[in-house]
Amino acid sequence: MADKPNASSSNRGFKIGKAPVRIQKAPPEEFLSLDVPARPKVDASDVVVPDGYKVEAVMTGLSFPTDVTFADDGTIFVSEGGSSWPTRPYMPARVVIIKPNGKTEAITMNVQAGPRGIAWREGELYMAIKGGYHMQVAKYNLETGKLTVLIDKLPSGGWHEPGGPVFGPDGLMYFGNGSVSQQGVCLPMGFTVDLAKHPLAHDVPGQDVTLTGNNVWSRDPRRPYPYLTQTGPFKPFGTTAEKGEVIKGALFCNSAVWRSKPDGSDVELLAWGIRNPFGMAINEEGELYVSDNDFEEKGERAIAKDPDRIWHIKNAKQPFGSVKTPDWYGFPDICGDGLPVNHEKHHPEKGKPADLFLQDPPPWAGPAAFLEQPHSCMCKMDFSSSDSFGHKGELFVAEWGTLAPLNSPRREDLDHGFRVIRVDVKKGTAEPFMHNKEFGPASRIGGGGIERPVSCKFSPNGKDLYVLDFGHARIDKGAMFAFAHTGVLWKITKEEETHE
Amino acid sequence: MSKEQMQTGFLLELDKECRQEHYERTVAWFKNVQLTQSSFRQLLEDTVEKIEEPHIKDYLHTMLEHAREHEEKAEALFTIIGHKPSSVRSTIGELMGKGRQALADVIAFGGGAKGPWQDLQQLYISNYNSMSAFAVAEQLGLALGIPEILDVTFSVIAQKSTDALLLQECALEMCSKSILYKQSF
Repeated sequence: MADKPNASSSNRGFKIGKAPVRIQKAPPEEFLSLDVPARPKVDASDVVVPDGYKVEAVMTGLSFPTDVTFADDGTIFVSEGGSSWPTRPYMPARVVIIKPNGKTEAITMNVQAGPRGIAWREGELYMAIKGGYHMQVAKYNLETGKLTVLIDKLPSGGWHEPGGPVFGPDGLMYFGNGSVSQQGVCLPMGFTVDLAKHPLAHDVPGQDVTLTGNNVWSRDPRRPYPYLTQTGPFKPFGTTAEKGEVIKGALFCNSAVWRSKPDGSDVELLAWGIRNPFGMAINEEGELYVSDNDFEEKGERAIAKDPDRIWHIKNAKQPFGSVKTPDWYGFPDICGDGLPVNHEKHHPEKGKPADLFLQDPPPWAGPAAFLEQPHSCMCKMDFSSSDSFGHKGELFVAEWGTLAPLNSPRREDLDHGFRVIRVDVKKGTAEPFMHNKEFGPASRIGGGGIERPVSCKFSPNGKDLYVLDFGHARIDKGAMFAFAHTGVLWKITKEEETHE
Repeated sequence: MSKEQMQTGFLLELDKECRQEHYERTVAWFKNVQLTQSSFRQLLEDTVEKIEEPHIKDYLHTMLEHAREHEEKAEALFTIIGHKPSSVRSTIGELMGKGRQALADVIAFGGGAKGPWQDLQQLYISNYNSMSAFAVAEQLGLALGIPEILDVTFSVIAQKSTDALLLQECALEMCSKSILYKQSF
């Protein structure tokens, strides 16, 4: 079967421009009775934050929002991710803009998937965009309307997400690209949609690896009758691996993190083996941290009790251009706790146990800076840099929340996530910072609180923490459905002290 | 942003006028759901009568019960968003079902097939038509944030997907009898 190593010419740009957006200003009481049955109520009083902080809902009605960022003047940008997630409709891929004077508009784009991460730098909006066989990093100049595609060769087309872009104090651009496969091998379990669009997509390692020759049997849903087929790691679905086969590593791989100059030149691979580096944040010392999500306990290569984790990307402190060998963080064979996926601790209750794929794997770059409960689904994150908000130097992390019982049969996994935590990355500890009165999404526990936090970012002055809430997703043992027009942008502020 | 500005929030595409506009557009599609389902049910009703083989006849009888339930569910979609189902689309759908039989006869004649085999083949296609119409309705329900639409469509699509497998099996199994042996069934 043919491969798709090169970016298609049709993947190099798309129509983009500014357009009005249908936004209405409304007093807080209107948020208590919304004409959206999937989320009829948004009520900040149902949300718990520590004493001394207050929370308010800034905007609701967002469809599959992915990230929030700010211009230097306080303009708020919220990206809506378009589509390419399974069992969800396409909603317009765009970036909603709220200006400091309260006026609104949107950057609209004709691209099927859409922006998954956004960052502002020197008058331009940088976007990590999913869709097709290759993810892109692009920038859009709001004054001239010019779109420039900076990176377009990162192999994608599967389950996981682009990471970043974020800019370090060194002025460099850092970005990531999640794995195509969910479980280290392309399977129909996570691919019923992606497999249709991208049957040739596969994982690509960041350095040469030798395979054990283990393949995975599954049904082949591409055929008129779903006969059985075998698939190996780093191969398109339905293609086997051989024992001792060497897969060449590539600069443009996936499950990886890079940096480059802001124009996308001089790309340097820092790390690979990171399953889903969706959240990326750099502290004032220039240390890069990346969130990563655990394996699923279902399907033909099921892995149990893998913790979510935050990796410290140590190579980011090396001089630019000096990293000859990227660090490897474990995917597809090592769990977040450093144990191999076939260790008895990780044997599944649901699905078939995993075999190892890599013979003589590279040295593991762990341990993780922080381990979180399985299936918390840590997403985007930001460091507090202001004494006026507090917790300066701590990492605030949005937790989208579990997909159990779909991806785990364990009762204890049902309420993991659905909150924002603050992490002390030096100590490897965390405390909940924002959550509902009970742990879990508002759609399950009742009330008008949070559903699924997907991003959190501090305002340019560091005084306000904005939390982007993806909205309502209905999950059961066999399916998931996400509802548009249910996303919310929340804002957390430290209350001013009053002196009598 | 000033304190006064922040005391008001922003509703994105949730104002009354925008929602109403989206509902009107959704109603237009729901009429298609009704039309394709009525067409399928009519073709199925007529095909059941033509088939003599007892097992296939039984399968299709059961499928017809599902089809009648699904037609009611297509009508229920309208009430979820405060509208009434269309009686015109239902009638047009029945006429389309009859038209598809005529098409089946033409194809059967041209392809040398004997008996009701071509009707089975047309049923297979017609079922896919109505299944995809329900699937689109489901996507619109997700896009509008209305779980009740999903509650109606999900089970219909699952049943129609099962029915599609059965129709595929029957049509593929019986083609040799119809085309090679020129026998009815």
